[in-house]
Amino acid sequence: MADVLSVGVNLEAFAQAISAIQALRSSVSRVFDCLKDGMRNKETLEGREKAFIAHFQDNLHSVNRDLNELERLSNLVGKPSENHPLHNSGLLSLDPVQDKTPLYSQLLQAYKWSNKLQYHAGLASGLLNQQSLKRSANQMGVSAKRRPKAQPTTLVLPPQYVDDVISRIDRMFPEMSIHLSRPNGTSAMLLVTLGKVLKVIVVMRSLFIDRTIVRGYSENVYTEDGKLDIWSKSNYQVFQKVTDHATTALLHYQLPQMPDVVVRSFMTWLRSYIKLFQAPCQRCGKFLQDGLPPTWRDFRTLEAFHDTCRQ
Amino acid sequence: MGVTCVSQMPVAEGKSVQQTVELLTRKLEMLGAEKQGTFCVDCETYHTAASTLGSQGQAGKLMYVMHNSEYPLSCFALFENGPWLIADTNFDVLMVKLKGFFQSAKASKIETRGTRYQYCDFLVKVGTVTMGPSARGISVEVEYGPCVVASDCWSLLLEFLQSFLGSHTPGAPAVFGNRHDAVYGPADTMIQYMELFNKIRKQQQVPVAGIR
Ligand SMILES: [Zn+2]
Repeated sequence: MADVLSVGVNLEAFAQAISAIQALRSSVSRVFDCLKDGMRNKETLEGREKAFIAHFQDNLHSVNRDLNELERLSNLVGKPSENHPLHNSGLLSLDPVQDKTPLYSQLLQAYKWSNKLQYHAGLASGLLNQQSLKRSANQMGVSAKRRPKAQPTTLVLPPQYVDDVISRIDRMFPEMSIHLSRPNGTSAMLLVTLGKVLKVIVVMRSLFIDRTIVRGYSENVYTEDGKLDIWSKSNYQVFQKVTDHATTALLHYQLPQMPDVVVRSFMTWLRSYIKLFQAPCQRCGKFLQDGLPPTWRDFRTLEAFHDTCRQ
Repeated sequence: MGVTCVSQMPVAEGKSVQQTVELLTRKLEMLGAEKQGTFCVDCETYHTAASTLGSQGQAGKLMYVMHNSEYPLSCFALFENGPWLIADTNFDVLMVKLKGFFQSAKASKIETRGTRYQYCDFLVKVGTVTMGPSARGISVEVEYGPCVVASDCWSLLLEFLQSFLGSHTPGAPAVFGNRHDAVYGPADTMIQYMELFNKIRKQQQVPVAGIR
């Protein structure tokens, strides 16, 4: 390889190769000349054949020799495009009609641009990884290799801290009772009972809320074996709708550095459902729309709206 | 079990009970309600036997024994303005044994039968009230399943009732006012039916135009 690279565009080898091609061409034409002339007059038929075969063999040998020589030289000449950063597309620069087909300059610009893009994307990805907005390390969907080694600090809070935050929220709202349990190890599950209106099962991961499901006050929240039923949905459309909105709220209330504020905001929002059946829609003034009361609560004002009446 | 309102729908002028029921159910279907089977609520009247009356010196109190197809394994026994109890259906057999104390009034059986309709979380039952062979009136029951406190959802219920009963929308049932903030139960519905049946029994003397 070093040999080839040093040659680069070896002009001397080039000249030799050209003459080698000429030699090859003439030896090939001699083969055909010999075939065309056929057997020359000799005394005996045997002599004629012998002389022809010897002559033909000589000619083929010289073709073989010239071909080998050409192959040897062509290695010396090397591939001129090999060293060009754009490989064969670099040959476009040899196009003499620059004005009509400015392909080469366009190509160079595109190349520079994509180089820059890659560089900036790399910087941005580094910065974003420091300020991770992702809710949990497992949901990133990337290979284990690329996942940051240390879990975000908010995911490894001591259970005692979580208990404190929840019991403080519990005391904040008298009409809301929160029952905390840990049936599956460290992750807490909350059963929130809001007046005599509804019950909410909240599945936590540390202080992050992973899943929430809303059911009616009279509906079952436990499975037959006495565990919290976190999967089956409510039998009533109104609570299915509120479940959807609560899931939206989980995505809305996000503050990765202060998860306790997020839980408090979510609970404050949830508490506004105490008037689920008593508050008319703030837009159309009615209680019912398609058989449903106003199931949406504005994230800031907590005002009641029908799903289709909110802006 | 949600909050339920039972009311009477007057028979439309110049129409039969059957025709008025059809008008009402067509209105419900237009609203988007879907048929979901049938229902039946019945009620039998018992009065205290004369033999027991004399010894205790009390006025005879009426007791109503009722069944509701929504609770097929239960039997409801209610005194007017008095205590009530919910028992197994075996209670009927017990009543036969108590013949010496409670005697069933002759031809007192009154019942309502009709179709159940589901609209979103509402359950609507429109029934024809019959005593013996004759149709006496129309009952309309509306249940809002998600809510358990009557005072919480009365306004909402009222809006729904208005949407298909129009000017015949009833006022809040008396049981709603009894215990503020209390959880509504099946017996509250039966009390409403008992009151409705009593009202219809008294109406039978007055001839209503169009009833056949
Ligand atoms: Zn609205």
